[in-house]
Amino acid sequence: MHTSRKSWLAVTAGTVGVALVAAGCGSSDGGSDGGSDGGGDITLTVATFNEFGYEGLIEEYMAANPGITVEQRKAATTGEARDNLNTRLAAGSGLADVEAIEVDWLPELMQFSDRFVDLSDPSLEGRWLDWKSAQATTPDGVLMGYGTDIGPEGVCYRADLFEAAGLPTDRDEVATFLGSSWDDYFAAGKQFAAASDVPWFDSSGGIYLGMINQVEYAFENEDGSVIPLDENTEVEGIYRDIMTAALDDGLSAHLAQWSEDWTNAFQNDGFATMLCPGWMLGVIEGNAAGVTGWDIANTFPGGGGNWGGSFLTVPTQSAHPEEAKALAAWLTAPEQQIKAFLAKGTFPSQVDALDSPELLDVTNAFFNEAPTGQILADRAAAVTVAPYKGPNYFGITNLITDAINRADVDQTDTVDSSWNKAVQSFNELGLG
Amino acid sequence: MSNLKQEPSIPQIRQTAGAGAARAAARKRKKSSGFGAERRPRWVTYTLLGAVLAISAYPMYYAVLLASSDAVTIAQTPIPSLIPQGNFFENVTRVLDADIKFWQAFFNSLLIAAITALSVVFFSTLAGFSFSKLRFKGRAGLLVFVIATMAVPTQLGVVPLFILMAELGWVGQLQAVIIPGMVTAFGVFWMTQYLESALPYELIEAARVDGCNLFRAFWSVALPAARPAATMLALFTFVASWTNFFWPFIVLGPANPTLPVSIQLLQSSFFKDQSLIMSGVVVATIPLVILFVFAGRQLVTGIMQGAVKG
Amino acid sequence: MSISSPPRPRQSTTTGYSKAAERKHRLAALDMKVSPYLFISPFFILFLIVGLFPLAYTAFVSVHDWNLIGGQGDFVGLKNFTDVLTQPRFYTALRNTFSIFLLSSVPQVLFAIIVAAILDQNIRAKTFWRMGVLLPYVVAPVAVSLIFSKLFADQSGMINEILGTFGVNPIRWHADPLASHVAIATMVNFRWTGYNTLIVLAAMQAIPRDVYEAAVIDGASRMRTFFSITIPMLRPTIIFVIITSTIGGLQIFDEPRLFDQAGQGGADRQWMTMTMYLYELGWGTQKSFGRASAVAWLLFLIILIIGAINFMITRRISSEGKR
Repeated sequence: MHTSRKSWLAVTAGTVGVALVAAGCGSSDGGSDGGSDGGGDITLTVATFNEFGYEGLIEEYMAANPGITVEQRKAATTGEARDNLNTRLAAGSGLADVEAIEVDWLPELMQFSDRFVDLSDPSLEGRWLDWKSAQATTPDGVLMGYGTDIGPEGVCYRADLFEAAGLPTDRDEVATFLGSSWDDYFAAGKQFAAASDVPWFDSSGGIYLGMINQVEYAFENEDGSVIPLDENTEVEGIYRDIMTAALDDGLSAHLAQWSEDWTNAFQNDGFATMLCPGWMLGVIEGNAAGVTGWDIANTFPGGGGNWGGSFLTVPTQSAHPEEAKALAAWLTAPEQQIKAFLAKGTFPSQVDALDSPELLDVTNAFFNEAPTGQILADRAAAVTVAPYKGPNYFGITNLITDAINRADVDQTDTVDSSWNKAVQSFNELGLG
Repeated sequence: MSNLKQEPSIPQIRQTAGAGAARAAARKRKKSSGFGAERRPRWVTYTLLGAVLAISAYPMYYAVLLASSDAVTIAQTPIPSLIPQGNFFENVTRVLDADIKFWQAFFNSLLIAAITALSVVFFSTLAGFSFSKLRFKGRAGLLVFVIATMAVPTQLGVVPLFILMAELGWVGQLQAVIIPGMVTAFGVFWMTQYLESALPYELIEAARVDGCNLFRAFWSVALPAARPAATMLALFTFVASWTNFFWPFIVLGPANPTLPVSIQLLQSSFFKDQSLIMSGVVVATIPLVILFVFAGRQLVTGIMQGAVKG
Repeated sequence: MSISSPPRPRQSTTTGYSKAAERKHRLAALDMKVSPYLFISPFFILFLIVGLFPLAYTAFVSVHDWNLIGGQGDFVGLKNFTDVLTQPRFYTALRNTFSIFLLSSVPQVLFAIIVAAILDQNIRAKTFWRMGVLLPYVVAPVAVSLIFSKLFADQSGMINEILGTFGVNPIRWHADPLASHVAIATMVNFRWTGYNTLIVLAAMQAIPRDVYEAAVIDGASRMRTFFSITIPMLRPTIIFVIITSTIGGLQIFDEPRLFDQAGQGGADRQWMTMTMYLYELGWGTQKSFGRASAVAWLLFLIILIIGAINFMITRRISSEGKR
């Protein structure tokens, strides 16, 4: 009760000094010189989820900016963060000054871009990878959010299981062995399966995300019109390829990612490879504690791939949009994101960060001392396709994930009947 | 009035005169006479009860087992050993040290649950007294209405209620959780049901003869008579408030959390450490178990009194 | 005894109003007239604000095209209702809700009566046993879900592991609709059976013992006294338990939502309940607050109907038992 009342008072008191503070802190490079502390203290709230690695940075910002108190509000999961954001957007108040948004739920918020401050700023042009800032730019050119991290994907593998199957174990040789296309990756899997009882990959859902994120226009055309699912041969092709590999070739561990069984499988030789974006390294390390043999290959089937990543937005509800914008700009500057990466493994989306020695020199002891900084930077550079995600993307891709889980994890449907159900659910959405 | 306080049992005995006084029966019961149930039951009963207790307690014990273990062991052994491992205090320390505002959450939960419980008991007993013992127009209809209100799905109230709280400037403040829970349809229903049978009309009559107005009659007759049910209602409300997640999560958020909201944050790291999460579960439940050990006695005494008064 | 019967008219004529002064008399009359309403007013005032306002609000929303975030759109009449009623998912949700509800409420009430009957004996360490059965109630639903989803994991869960040692094939708790309903109902039963047991026990203890004594003297067997005395006397309490568990059961949300990591009721929505469906419509990708409100109102009506049916059946059964 105390803190909240204090913060409300602080907010009210702070409005008096807005103009003065704004003049001091409004510069886009974030006022590391402290700026003016105006005539009143203000409190900014930053809402994040999972791990952003901001704890130390916020201390640093407050030390550099007397008069600004920054509070971090964490939600445990992205689902909760999204519920919270939607409810408060619907109610028209209660949001934090800086709200973190995941790339997957950004598209559905695009149509409400007027609820967010346009963050575009000429001096920040070119700070992020092109496709990253494109994800947060509306068709009218409004920049809804500053990019924080990205999820460039490599292939993580169990060298010990590869060795037992008589396959190469060195990460460069493995990269060659895995090849460059999805067919290569599945063929390598069949070779592995011939010599081992361990499934090749963890989850068909994970493979699906890897493949669908390489399609530029998966479910919606450039003009935003939706492609009817029963005519969408490209997506159906991906679905069937995965199902063939998973079921006919027996490469899948039949697990749903993040389920109890999936988590436990890390301790029980549940699978030999998985697609791993940068932030997944921490997940593997935690779940597979004590397991030796994990390594990461500097390759990805079908070209580069990105999975996930977030943005910092400033809702128009904020009482201090200028200060909030400055804070968001500072947090997403290359130097800060490198620190966040070192703290929690969130890989930076900033161009300058990608060739910084601080980042490139990072190695990971758990992954057999792999130079993960260099590998992930290479993987980020390999990302060429920025998939177009319209407002219906999230809903439709969810239907395909459900279809995959029905056929591969639950096995309550055949490949065909599960696909038909997806088509039926699609038609129920009435997007036609 | 004073007369009534000194001898509360006279009208009561009068009320139950036809049945020869429940009190007498209860007194007799202590000497274990009469109906067959008063004999000491045999081992079959205790075996059954033991089984019920084992089923009741095991899931919580399972949480303790995981809380005293570590993530790797948990993943490797689906059936944990029956004896707790040695990591419990270490894991609990990790929970307390984690950046989840544990103590703030603890006191928030305590304050919210205590105020809510007291308030629900008071207002529900007041309404229950009125519904069960007083005559007024529209009584039956209004009571059915109270019950019908329980059928309103709460999930959807979230947005309008949030808008309301935002208008009042209460978002993030404890009253946003306390005020909506100050009296519940369940409580009104429960107290009505109880007072219907447990409060003799003669008691109210006697109080009125002594010149009490209805509120005084409520205060000095109905409230004491309602004690057993009120104890249970208080406990149930306290527990419901303590364990509530969704609304506090939405309206308070992690900035000023209650205990379940705060404990949930233990899952926020990429890697979900079951030993840590289960320690959080155990730590959040322990205060209730302690309360329960004390209030549980109170509760049982309450039920016994209920029997005597019935 | 039942909730809608009027109070017995015990307002006797023997009271001495005549002795009181005229003014006092009028005040007392006013007191009798107004106070009953004053006493129930806190509930209604609060309900007006936190219950009726949202209900009216959602009623208004349900006849509009309404995006959760975008807000009010065109008036569409009953279109949201017909949209929802033509979606197969609505019926999946309905089926799941009823299945989980039956699997939880029926065993719950039966077990509560049985365990209460056991506890109603002259056992040693009464307090201990009574507290024992209530223990699960103090565990938060979030915690119960965390614990049970580990126990019910398909491949790595303890329950399947134990079944395996007896040679039983693993049960597909998350894939099979019925199995998932059983698992979710188990969580509900775990938490609520003890609670209902104590409510029933409290009612049993309130039955005057001399009624039993009379029956014993008449030579009635234990079973017979249980069915012809205990059960009828418990009627209001059983109605109470059934009504509250109906209302709670049909709104079940936390347990199924936390049954897996995705929280949408399974890939085939095999355990998606009505409230989860409502939530998916409103907060999911459709963000159709209009359709969600329509589902809320449909659910509200269903609960009212089931509640009424319940009430009538229970009443009949217990009044038959009385004969």
